[in-house]
This record gives sequence, structure tokens and C-alpha cells, in this order.
Amino acid sequence: MTKFAFGAAMALGAGTLGAATSQAEPLKIGIIESLSGSQTSTGRLYARAVKYGVDRINAAGGFNGEPVQVTEYDNAGGASEAADKFRQAVADGVNIIIQGASSAIAGQLTEDVRKHNLRNPGKEMIFMNLGGEAMELTGDKCQFYHFRFTTTAPMRITALVNAMKKSDALGSKAYAINQNYSWGKDVQAAVEAAASEGGYEVVGEVLHDVNKIQDFAPFVARIKSAEPDTVFTGNWSNDLLLLMKATGDAGLDVTFATTFLDQPGNIANAGQTALGHYIANNYDNAATPTNEFPEAYKAATGAYPIFVEGHSTFALGQLQEALSTLDFKGGDINVTNIALALENSVYQSPLGPISVRKEDHQTIRPVVVSKVVKGATYPADGTDMGFETVEVIPGEKAIYPVQDSCQMKRPNA
Amino acid sequence: MEFAIISTLNGVTYGLLLFMVSAGLTLIFGMMGVLNFAHASFYMLGAYVAYAVSSIFGFWTGILVAPIVVGLVGMAVERFLLPRVHAHGHAHELLLTFGLALIIEELIKLFFGDFPVNYQMPEALRFSAFEIFGTGYPFYRMFIGAVAVIMFTVLWLLLTRTRTGIVVRAAERLPQMAEALGHNIPIVFMFVFGTGAALAGLAGAVAGAFYPTNPNMGIELGVIVFVVVVVGGLGSLKGSLVASLLIGLFSSFSVGLDWSVASMFDVVGLGDWARSVGGLLTLELSSVSATIPFALMLIVLLVRPAGLMGERN
Amino acid sequence: MTSIQKILLALLLVLLIAVPPFLGLGWQNALINVLISSLFALAFNLLNGQAGLLSFGHAAYFGVGAFAALHLMIAVEDGLFFPTPLLPLAGGLAGLVVGVVAGYFSTMRSGVYFALVTLAIAELFHSLAPHLEGTFGGEAGVSSMRMPWMGFGFGTIIEVYYLTLGWVVLCGLALWAYTRTPFGRLTLALRDNEQRVKFLGYNAHYAKVIVFAVSAMMTGVAGALLAISNETANYSLFSGSVSAQVVLQTFVGGSTVFFGPVIGATVFTLFSFLISDLTRSWLFYQGLIFVLVMLYAPTGIGGVIDHHIRNRRQLDLAKIGGPYLVALGGGILIAAGTVFLTESAEVLFGQDYAMARDGASGGFPAYDLFGLSWSPLNPVTWLVPLVLLCGGVFILIRARRVIDRLWARKDEATTADMTVGAGGKE
Repeated sequence: MTKFAFGAAMALGAGTLGAATSQAEPLKIGIIESLSGSQTSTGRLYARAVKYGVDRINAAGGFNGEPVQVTEYDNAGGASEAADKFRQAVADGVNIIIQGASSAIAGQLTEDVRKHNLRNPGKEMIFMNLGGEAMELTGDKCQFYHFRFTTTAPMRITALVNAMKKSDALGSKAYAINQNYSWGKDVQAAVEAAASEGGYEVVGEVLHDVNKIQDFAPFVARIKSAEPDTVFTGNWSNDLLLLMKATGDAGLDVTFATTFLDQPGNIANAGQTALGHYIANNYDNAATPTNEFPEAYKAATGAYPIFVEGHSTFALGQLQEALSTLDFKGGDINVTNIALALENSVYQSPLGPISVRKEDHQTIRPVVVSKVVKGATYPADGTDMGFETVEVIPGEKAIYPVQDSCQMKRPNA
Repeated sequence: MEFAIISTLNGVTYGLLLFMVSAGLTLIFGMMGVLNFAHASFYMLGAYVAYAVSSIFGFWTGILVAPIVVGLVGMAVERFLLPRVHAHGHAHELLLTFGLALIIEELIKLFFGDFPVNYQMPEALRFSAFEIFGTGYPFYRMFIGAVAVIMFTVLWLLLTRTRTGIVVRAAERLPQMAEALGHNIPIVFMFVFGTGAALAGLAGAVAGAFYPTNPNMGIELGVIVFVVVVVGGLGSLKGSLVASLLIGLFSSFSVGLDWSVASMFDVVGLGDWARSVGGLLTLELSSVSATIPFALMLIVLLVRPAGLMGERN
Repeated sequence: MTSIQKILLALLLVLLIAVPPFLGLGWQNALINVLISSLFALAFNLLNGQAGLLSFGHAAYFGVGAFAALHLMIAVEDGLFFPTPLLPLAGGLAGLVVGVVAGYFSTMRSGVYFALVTLAIAELFHSLAPHLEGTFGGEAGVSSMRMPWMGFGFGTIIEVYYLTLGWVVLCGLALWAYTRTPFGRLTLALRDNEQRVKFLGYNAHYAKVIVFAVSAMMTGVAGALLAISNETANYSLFSGSVSAQVVLQTFVGGSTVFFGPVIGATVFTLFSFLISDLTRSWLFYQGLIFVLVMLYAPTGIGGVIDHHIRNRRQLDLAKIGGPYLVALGGGILIAAGTVFLTESAEVLFGQDYAMARDGASGGFPAYDLFGLSWSPLNPVTWLVPLVLLCGGVFILIRARRVIDRLWARKDEATTADMTVGAGGKE
């Protein structure tokens, strides 16, 4: 053979070989998060945890013969930017969208995914919701391709009530102060609903503007006049911080039952006033039976998992669990099958099993109730305070009933 | 009764804080006709500078250094940046300060991160000033109020009793005339801008230890400060004080009142009808306490744009 | 418009029609956003550049238009017959109605007070909207779906693109035609000298209300187009940053030239599309660019281009091309230096680096940037941006001197022509 023909034959051979190996379709994950703007701190934590989870999947061999690819899209905390980035993700061929920092954006993305799936049969996408706790996402907005990998207001409140009652911290009079939007209203409703089981009376409730109040002293005055034992609040960020500071300044002796006390910066800023208050969340380092998970996370990323990182990693772990039951043999990825596999998956997290409820795709998951103490095992925010686990409420006990408004349309076969 | 007294105390101290921030803004506008959009960022800058300095040198050094640094920044802005766009009209000056606000905010986020930072008041100041109705009233609130009152007095005396003050007031009225009389007007403007910025910086340094110091504090306070300045009268220091107290008291009281238009209709027996209509009529005052100031600003602008105490022009 | 300008515009239109089907989905979506922002900016500049009324609350009419369109879309979903391509009419109508009311009150004041009134109106919408859940849908907002019409499914991005293009071109032409009408001239007169307008017998207040209403109507159409494209809207459309964005875009593009706002909108939208996923400090760069334009090119990009076009005969373009390129080079060096410093600061002050330092027991480990590894303790790391910045500034100053000289020569030539002409006539 002439040199040229030989070279051509080699090139052809290499080409077909290359084509054969590059035929496997990689699974593409897109993180559409608030990576700039006001919710950046939370958004970046979600991104970090998801990347850690994907690294674990790839360390175990990836999926479909290829490493799983993950791309970050910055939605700057805005719904229209999120819509734009969604379309960019569609253009990039993303199969699974992940978001956590904003309930409003979660509401937007689940609708975007639903409409996309309707219009593009065969090219469906899944939306893994890591942080949108609005009830409507598993209510009238529920859809087959949405999965909620976090708690909701009723779950957190039920957990708080159960744990605090058991440890005699609940008292007989409760006050609810919340932000005036869907989340705050969900929390308020949940507090009212749990009153009989918790054996307390709701002596007052108030809704206030979100992130606009600079001075909570008037609210503290209102709370004081109602004389509650426990104050339930779903407030986050400034609203929680200012509320607790104002309460501390007024020397008001109440126990706070919160949902977002572990947000980075809160303990440091609240200082001593944070001691003795409770929180219900998806994950806390001190609640794990062994320190295997926190240490592994620290080894890979440089710090123990905080705030949302724990349960986000579990969500990716659950995805890994689901993927391990599928085999597309290096061919095209069938996203509907992934969704079906997710539905049936049970992930053994360090805190207990996490399963998916088929009727509304809410995960049945354990809820951790902790208390702020001095000298904790895992200090928070560089202070000497941290969270001590009071109780881990198992999934079946914490879960809320399926909402009537959820009429999920399942794909055919 | 208890509610009224506590709300009044809270309202007055919050109002005094608003005054500290808005005093500089109204001064700058009165002198130079520039509505400084970057003013709230000066407030935030003051808090962060105080945080940075106080973590090394202590709280009181931070309080001292922050206004000086922010004042210098203000002077630099007035000396080097604003004159360039002066020829193109007020709109360009406004927009330049707006762009500066963006840059300052992003720079702070770049260096200090997006989380709130741990800027705390010193232990020495963390005690109750007095007991009222069974709970302590924090001393630091009174401290903020005291700083505001001292600031107002010093400014007032400076403007009305000193030679510099007279020159500044003359420069506000008729800059060219004052210049013809031999006073260095550009230096006066630079000084006024710097002072205004320094006041905002001081407010930030003092308040940042009480309220959370975070990158959004500029935006949060910024819009309310505009309302205060407009309602009080652009350019009037006294008006600014009165308006701040008014809005501070209003914010405090409205939080505790669950009035709504529907409940007012109860008086004439149409309450149930109003509730069935829903919408705006059932909104409770406590939920919309942050909205009412804007309505107030709108009303003032339309009915009496000079504000409560500004001059008609 | 000269024939060259008409040809260029026609060419642009042909490109806008022919090219997008070949672009990826991401680019098609970006172009839709460019078109919507352009219309928004053009409508805003009707009020600002032509009537001289700077509004800080135009987001109100944008949002109102979006929600109006969405409610109509919901009605269409539920069975009402209404052609999908005509949906923006709802936005325009809502914008018009709200604009008349808001305009009536705002135009009672002028200057800074006018701006503050518009700001207050927008903030009122922004504060009240979350509470009126029936109309504005709480924080998740209102969402709907485009319904098919006459064989078009409107399910793909490209169809939405052509719909948006059609409406933006239509409205753009309408706004252009407006400037050519007598009332358009009156608008300019309102900006220049309102008292004279009154002396001429016009009711200045009503005239201003009409201008405001037209501007709000076009803004409402832009909002409706956004609603159609995104199929959702929430109260954040009323926020101060939306009002601020359109102001920034208009002034960077140039408010004195008709197409200035379009240029500004295009630059900003494409900038955020291309840069926002590359760096987390892109808002800082945006603010920096805005301030620089305000300082050194106050008439905006459009104004600068217009200035050159007007003076193209007197300028020796061949001679001036060279210094311009050199100045551009200097600008690029300065930009590179700034980007290097900003990105380095981003890394060094970030949390990941703080953890890396903990790992290195308080030392200063190296960090990665632009594919290379840099050590903070190594002077070379800081020498690089220093050289870039100084070099860039030096080159820019030198080039600027040459450019200024050439422009001055042009002015002298013009004056000389005039004096010679006068002398010649004698």
C-alpha cells in the first residue's frame, strides 16, 4: 500500500473507532442558580454540593459509559433571567435541571420544564428541586418530571412540635410571626394546624413585609403583649436576624422555633441571643451517627457541609441510586426512564431512608430538630456555638398528606 | 398604653437613624442640586470600613475612621468625577452617582463576600438603659439616637453660627455671586459633598453594629431615605429631621395595628361587603407598613413638592 | 435619513430575518431579549430624549403590559378566541391606560421631582403587587402558555422570535414616524422651552400627558412581548432595577440619537448573555462600563457615532483611523489589567481561597486564573496588571493627544473655510 492509502486507512479506522467510542451520550446536569445578586451566598452552596455529588457519581464510573457533565448557569436571583438560562440549558442539551435558592424561581422552572416536555416529546427534562418549599410545587403545580428533594413548612413544623413537646420546651402558648408571602403563610397555616397535636394555643400571629423591615422592635412589643412560650417563625436572612436581635435586646424570654437559623452568618450575627433556640431542617452534621459523611465532604471541598449542602448531596446520591438501576448501553438517554427510576429509588442517607412519594413526587425524608448550644461538636460561623441534635424525626412521621390539588399526569407506559 | 410608649421610643430612635443618613443627602441636594444616588452606598461603605477597622483596632477607632474615609471618597467623587458631567445637566450627574452606587456595592461584595459580616457593638455598650414594662430597653438604641442629635446640633451650629456656614449657605443660594465675592466655590462644594458623605458613613458605622451589616443594606435603606428627604423637603435639614421622626414613628406604630379599609367600613356597617370585595380593601396596615411611605412620598410630591419645610422653587 | 443609512437598515433587517434559524437556541433567545430591550429603551427615550422627562419608574408600565398580556393568554387558554400574534395589543392598551393616569400626575412636576414621582409610582406597584395575588400572583407570579393559532404552534423559540421581530419593527417604525409628525416636533419643543410652547397656545400639560401615554403604551407592548416569550411574569418586573436597567441602556447608547437606545440595549443584553456565566463579577464590569461612558462619552455610543458621521467630510478618516486603533489597543490593555485585578480579588477574597489558606496553615497558596497558576506573594503576579494598566494608560494618552490634534485641525479648517469664504466674497 502506498503511504497515502495506508494513512487514509488508519485515519478511517481511527475515525470509526473514535465515532464508536464517542457515541455514548453523557448525562448532562444543569445548575440554574442564584450565583450573583442578593441570594448568592445560598446559591453557591447549592452549586458546590451538587458538584460534589456529581464528582461522587463520576468517581464511581459516571453513567452510560461517560462522566456526568455539570454546567452552572447564573440566574442572578431573577425569574426572567432564570427563564433565559433555562433556554440556554435546553440549547446545551441538558437532561436534568437543578435549583434550590428560590421558591419563586422553582415555580418558574417547574412550569418551564412542564411546557418544554409538552412541546418536545422525546426530549424531556427533569427538574430536581432542592430548595423550593412552596406547597404548590407538589400541589396544583405538581408534575411528573418535578421532584422535591427537601422539606416543606408542614414537615418542619410537625417535626419541631413533636421534638420540642417531647423535650418539654414547647409550652402551652405559641406565637407565629412570618413573612407575608407563600412560604410565610404556609408556616403560619402549619402552626395553626399542629396546635391540637402540640397541645398549645396560638395566641397571636402576624405577617410582615419580606426583607423590608429594618426595625423589629414594634413586632417584639406585640409578641411580648401576647406572652407566648414559643415563637414560631419561618423567617430567613435579615428578617430572622433582626427579629432575634430585637428580641434579645428587649430581653424577651421566649424560645424560638425556626426553620432557617443555620443560614451562614446568622449565628455569628445573633451572638449570645441565639442560644437555646430550635431549628428544624433537612440535615445537621451533629445528627449523623458517624462522622463519615461530614469528613468525606470536608476532605473533598475543604469544609464541613453547612446549611443546604447536606441534603443537596443526598439528592444527588438518590439520583446515583436511581441511575444504577438503568442501563442505556451507551445509547440515547431516556429521561422518562430516569424519572421512573427516581420514583422507585430509596436512598439510605446517614440520617435515615429517603423515598419518593409517587402521587406528588415529594420525598419522604427525615427531619432534624436541633438546638443552639455553646461548645457544640460542629461550631457554626467560626464562633463557639453550634447545633446539638434534639431528635431526628423519621420520614413517615414528618410527612404531610398528599394535597387534593395535585392531579399528576403520568406518561404513557 | 404600653404599646404606645414602646412604639414611640422605637419610632423616635429609628427615625433618628433615618435622619443621620438623610441629613447628608438633603444637604448635598440643597447645595448642589445633585440627588446623590450613591448616598446609601456611602452608608454601607461606612459600616464595612468600620467593620474592617474595628476588627483590628477596636470599635471606637472604627467609628472614628469610617466617616473620615467615606468623607474622603465623597470629596474625591465631587472633585474628580462630578465636574466632568456637570455640563451635560442634572440627569447625567444623577446617573453618574447611580453608576457609582453600583460600583461601590459590587466592590464591597467582591472584598467582603455576600454573607452578612459579624460587626458587633462592643460589650461595654451592650446593656439595658432602663427597664420599661418588664423588659429592658437597649442602651445602644439610645446611643444611636444621641449620636444623631449631636450630629444635628453640630451641623446646625456650623451652618448658622460660623463663617464657613454662612459661605456655604450663600453658595447654595447664589453660587456665582459668592464666587465673585472671592470665595472658592469649588472647594466649598467639595467640602459639602465630603461632609454629607462622612455623615452617611458615620451613620453606617454606628448603625451597622446594631443592624446586620450586609451588602443589601444600601438598597434597603436607600429608598426609605429618598422618601424622607422628599417628604421633609429637599434641602431642608429641619424638614429632614421632622420627616425622619414622622416616618420612624409611623413604621413603629403601623406594625402593631391591624387596621384595614374594611375594618373602617365596619363603623358604617359595610364591613362585610368590603371584605367580600377583597383586594386592596382587606389589606391590613401591618402587612403594608413598608408601602405607605411611598404613597406618602407621592402625595407630598403632587400636593406640595417643597415638602414639609422646604422652600418653594 | 440618507440613502446609505436606509440601505444599512434594510440590510440589518434582512440579516435579522434570515440568520436566526441557523443560530442555536441560546442565541435566538438572546436576540429576542435584545429586541424587547430595544423597544423598551426606544419607548423610554421618547419620554427622556425627546420630551426631556427622565423617568425612573418605567418598569411600572413594562410590568403592567406583561401582566395584561398574561391574563389575556390565560383567557385564550380557557377558550376565548383571540389570535396569539395580537396579544401585545393587550400590553399596549394596559400601558396606555396606566400611562394616562400616571402621566397626568407625574407631568404636574418637572425635573428631579418628576423623576421622583415616577419612582414613587413604580415602587407603589412593586410594594402592592405581592399583596394582590389575584392579579399579580404572589411571588411565583402568573403563568400561562402560548396557544396555537392558524397553524402556527408558537411552541418553538424561532416562532416567538419572528413574532417579537415583527412587533418591534412595527413599533420602531411607529416611533420613528412619530418624530416626523408635527406632534413629534412639539415634543422636542417641550424639552427645549416649555414656556414658549405655552405662549404658542398649546396646553403643555396635556401634551406631556400624551407623550407619556404613548411612551407607556410602547413600554407595555415590550412588557407583553416579554410575557409571551417567557410565558410568565412576577412582581419583580416592577422593581427598581428594571427601571434602572433601561435608563443605563439608554444613556450608554446615547439618548440624543434615535437609534442610540437600541445600541445601548443591544450592548447590555449581549454583554450579560456572554459574560454572566464566565465571571461572577459581571455586574461590577457593567457598572464600570456605565460610569466610564458617562465620564468620557456622555452622549453615549450613538452620540459618538453620530458625531463622526456628521463630521465625516471634514475629517481625514484615513489619518484618524490609525490613532483610533492605537487608542483601542490601549483600551484593551487597560481592560485586561482591570479584569485581571478584579478576577484575582474575586478569588483571593472568596471562601474557597480562605479554606485553601486554612489548609496551607495561614500561608498564601497559589491560585488558578485564565489557565495559569499565580502566587500572591510573587511580585510578578502584581507586575502583570500593573504593566497592562500603565501601558494601556500611556498608549491611550498619547493616542488621545494625536486624535485631539486631528479634531482641532478639522475645526480650524472649517473656521478657515468660513473666513476665506467671507473674505472671498468681498
